[in-house]
Amino acid sequence: MSSRIYLDYCATTPIHPDVRKQILRALDVDFGNPSSMHWAGMDSKQLMSQARADVAEGIGCHPDEITFTSGATESDNLALFGTLRLFPSEKAHLITSAIEHHAVLHAAHLLEQDGYAVTYVPVDGHGVVDPDDIRRAICPNTRLISIMSVNNEVGSIQPVAEIGKIAREHDVHFHTDAVQSIGLFNVNVDELNADLLSLSAHKIYGSKGIGTLYVRSGSNLSPMIFGGPQEHSLRAGTENVPGIASLGAAINLVREHRGEERARLSDLRKYLVNGLQAFGPNVSVNGAEETTAPHIVSVSFTGADAEMMQILLNHAGIAVSLGSACNSKSLEPSHVLTAMHLPQEQIESTLRISLGMPTTHEEIDLLLDAITRILPRVIVR
Amino acid sequence: MSTFKVCVVGGHCSNRVMIVAEQITEFFDTNGIDCQVFTHLAVSEYGFPPRSNLILQLLPAFTEVEAGCPVINIKPLIGDPMHPATLEKILKQVQADYIA
Repeated sequence: MSSRIYLDYCATTPIHPDVRKQILRALDVDFGNPSSMHWAGMDSKQLMSQARADVAEGIGCHPDEITFTSGATESDNLALFGTLRLFPSEKAHLITSAIEHHAVLHAAHLLEQDGYAVTYVPVDGHGVVDPDDIRRAICPNTRLISIMSVNNEVGSIQPVAEIGKIAREHDVHFHTDAVQSIGLFNVNVDELNADLLSLSAHKIYGSKGIGTLYVRSGSNLSPMIFGGPQEHSLRAGTENVPGIASLGAAINLVREHRGEERARLSDLRKYLVNGLQAFGPNVSVNGAEETTAPHIVSVSFTGADAEMMQILLNHAGIAVSLGSACNSKSLEPSHVLTAMHLPQEQIESTLRISLGMPTTHEEIDLLLDAITRILPRVIVR
Repeated sequence: MSTFKVCVVGGHCSNRVMIVAEQITEFFDTNGIDCQVFTHLAVSEYGFPPRSNLILQLLPAFTEVEAGCPVINIKPLIGDPMHPATLEKILKQVQADYIA
């Protein structure tokens, strides 16, 4: 295999050197259990407190409103189960969208099996939720609205500030999965009217296995993990201090660079899209440019087999994705592309290319060269 | 055991290729054709086309030149295991090459 190019930053990101420093400090120096009442525990707790403060500042909340989890999947689960299970099933309703991450959708399906009412609002052809659909779905029993900020498969940017406002007007809690937005956009929980917000470190150059759920002060949640008073008794278990350190450092990193990165990746994205569209009329980029995050390109090569394209690109040393990472080994077509009403043939010919801090023009050129060689042999006859 | 080898080629999903291979085996049994059906995943073994008399592939992994044998696209069988046109194509090929 020739030298490797990574273009799957939506799946995960490499750990940034600045973040690694903080992880190593937690591993080598501040290794104590934060609950221990001696110098080792106190030092570790201090490191954790600083990271908590960094995360809180990153999204405009108080440190006490930050609950560390094992990742955004747990955070999403906690937001949904933790809110709905405070109520008997016949008195609770959840509104979410058809294009949420499976961490939300599978939790919603399980709640439905337990008798809770769930409404899945549709999206338009660009993968965007209409806030009026949310408004129309609200009923007296609605307890939570959960809509992601940026979709991880196609990059569609959701009108979450407007949805949060609608939720607030109706006295309904609002949760947003901000995993794919925090790296490039300003995320402020008050501007979003968010009561709950999920983040993940490994999508923003931090380590895997750590995330957070922002819980607005005064919000009640039913815990899912028991056995200790950690994380305000909301999430028991000895804290993953190296992971927490990485999340704090990662938030600081993206806050410092997101402005310039957003501009740089917007340019790169345009360059990539122009290059892809030069392959002909059968190539289409999913989502509208003005409502798509600059680091995600969902592209369909209608008539070609995307799975074989991805295999051949991998063989050429280029890592891209078939839809989301979660779907890549599933027999089912992408639920996001299906919700956007793309034809089956287009869904089967779709790749996701996602850009990150290390991505360069040269890497895009190499990708386009590889596609030029590969495309003729993956046409389905 | 039959010496006529039929390879079902898939991509990432081993479940999918196994299911289709079982369906093909059943199809051959129903039609009284004695073939040896086996599977091959392009994702892990792309560099080496499987040695066989006929390749049935769920994605455009190999050309006939690369494989050294006839190659049939059987992707329609994913959505419809009894896809008539695809099964007819397979049957015709086997009858032409194997059953003289």
